[in-house]
Amino acid sequence: MEDKEERIETSLVAIVIDATPAKKFASQPLDGSSMMNRIFDSLIAFGNAHLMQASHNKLAIIACNSKSTKFLYPSMDGTSRSYHNRPGQYDMFAKVDSDVRHGLGELILNDMTDNDSTKSDSLLGGAMARALSYIHRVQRELSLSHQLKPRVLVVSGSCDSALQYMTFMNVFFTAQKENVVIDCCMMDTDSGLLQQGCDITGGQYLHIPSVAGLLEYLLWVFLPSPSCRSKIVLPPPTKVDYRAACFCHHKLVDIGWVCSVCLSIFCKFSIMCTTCNTEFKLNRPAIVPAKSKKRARIE
Amino acid sequence: MADEDETKEYRWESGYEKTWEAIKEDDDGLLESNVADLVARAKRKRAALKDTGAIQLGMMRHLFVVVDASACMFLQDLKPTRFLCVLKLLEVFVHEFFDLNPISQLGILTTKMKRSEQITVLAGNQKKHIEALQQLKDLSCEGEPSLQNSLERAMNGLKNMPAYSSREILVLFGSLTTCDPGDIQKTIKSLKDNNIRVSIIGLAAEVRICQEIAKKTGGTYNVLIDDHHLKELILNQVQPPAVAGSMEASLVKMGFPGGSPIVNDGTSDSSADHAPAYCLCHIESETSSLMGPNGYNCPQCGSRYCELPVECKQCGLTLVSAPHLARSYHHLFPIKPFIERAQVRETTHCFACAKLFVEAETNVYECENCNQIVCLDCDLFIRETLHTCPGCASDPVTAQMKTN
Repeated sequence: MEDKEERIETSLVAIVIDATPAKKFASQPLDGSSMMNRIFDSLIAFGNAHLMQASHNKLAIIACNSKSTKFLYPSMDGTSRSYHNRPGQYDMFAKVDSDVRHGLGELILNDMTDNDSTKSDSLLGGAMARALSYIHRVQRELSLSHQLKPRVLVVSGSCDSALQYMTFMNVFFTAQKENVVIDCCMMDTDSGLLQQGCDITGGQYLHIPSVAGLLEYLLWVFLPSPSCRSKIVLPPPTKVDYRAACFCHHKLVDIGWVCSVCLSIFCKFSIMCTTCNTEFKLNRPAIVPAKSKKRARIE
Repeated sequence: MADEDETKEYRWESGYEKTWEAIKEDDDGLLESNVADLVARAKRKRAALKDTGAIQLGMMRHLFVVVDASACMFLQDLKPTRFLCVLKLLEVFVHEFFDLNPISQLGILTTKMKRSEQITVLAGNQKKHIEALQQLKDLSCEGEPSLQNSLERAMNGLKNMPAYSSREILVLFGSLTTCDPGDIQKTIKSLKDNNIRVSIIGLAAEVRICQEIAKKTGGTYNVLIDDHHLKELILNQVQPPAVAGSMEASLVKMGFPGGSPIVNDGTSDSSADHAPAYCLCHIESETSSLMGPNGYNCPQCGSRYCELPVECKQCGLTLVSAPHLARSYHHLFPIKPFIERAQVRETTHCFACAKLFVEAETNVYECENCNQIVCLDCDLFIRETLHTCPGCASDPVTAQMKTN
């Protein structure tokens, strides 16, 4: 067991599904079925493909919408639902299939019945936080002879929510600390926050041009483990925008003012920090020389 | 040990502690559940201690680490030697330090043969420090250390740092003696005048002058018990300290080099910004090579850098990226500690990790805001690493309250 070579690699993929765009896709017809069904079929197929690669591989699927987050697989219901497996089908695949369909159905129906028109953001941050907690637990429970290679795959189609910025950042840094790779497959819209997350943790960010081809993209880009990605030709990395949003107007800034006590960012100078209530001295030793120098050069 | 003052009696003067009485057998005559309970309690206690932070922290820190390299560091009471053990732990420390204090600066000094030597200057690049520490391994430890010389040297480096930063010195002191050229009381006084906090970790036994320096400058003085304790003591220094009384707060101008040329609405990002250029951080070294369109341009003067954070050599602007700052935001918005509850029947699973609660686990933890129940391990994980309650983040109301 001491020999590292002999440790069995266990690859864990936690898929985080954003079900918020489901409504939008439900109405798009595609070959007699709806786009929504096609997407869920693709995700289940991808999950099963991952399980099929090696017998030690593990899978977790968590879904979220703007109301709640939910573990789809392994399911938290406790009651073992009966599932029909087609003759010759591997038991586990049938279980994944039935658990995910059942869970997603519940989640989407809850959302549909509760039809207040207030549009809130999808709770992707919470779902990712739960995925990390789950990964942490699996890591803890794993025997010493196994080595866990965890990653999170986010499949989303909703825009960034500025209100969840903190949650996202905490999730990214935790993932980085725990060596969890965050991959992201975006449908329809682009997400700047998730781009940063993929960049921080060394994952792959992909904005797919066609939703109908989701399964192909998943199998091509996200099925190989991160260790063999250097050997395949992947879409070129996107240039990540690392500019900061100021706390006062949530506006992206190039040059900002940062409170020395709490590191809040402001787009213009003020005499008091609104986050930590610190009053600032008006003589600015570090700043004045820089300005005067600049002015001198202009003159 | 941490809050030891002169009135507190020494361990050997206090009453007899019957530590074994805390351990009791359960109904089956087994110790297992009891031990697990004790371990859990100790973990939570340790985590709770860390949380007593003030909201105003000295986030921008300038810290000198002074490593004793005198003859006594070759002693083998820490394995393999005191010196190697300390260096190994310092590597961890440097890593953690920059993880938690992203825009702080660190410098390393050693002291031997009655003098003090500068190993690295104050800088924010952790790679350089770790390399320097790895090279130190071959250093021979000899002679006597000089506490005063190293403090003076560190003070000279820290004196000119801006007033809003927290200036600190951490001394890892193995010797019981020090060879000083002058009156150390004067040094202590000027340290105090310069608002420098000195924390000392003793590797041998308690030394009075160390105690005095730490006390007068507002730092801490601890003596290690064993190598695990030493690790704990060193890592305790990672957490940013509360703002010292006379420290000035100030708004610091910083640049956030943008990446994408498409989203920018200003005029600063032209095609010239992405043309190949030399980066200013390596321009003086022989290995400098022309960089492609990657890299970060200073938004003020347009100089190119290959990594962040960095201080612009041209215009003096501090360049950082937004996630660098965000790394320390969890200090600002700490989560409320979860409340310990007896296990209830209705909740069968831990909300965060979906673990099935078993009979042996008597306590579960509840978040005050979202009333979700998590298990002990998740409680610790959330508090120590994640800093976000998965329950609150999964609730449309609380998820939005979290960020002001």
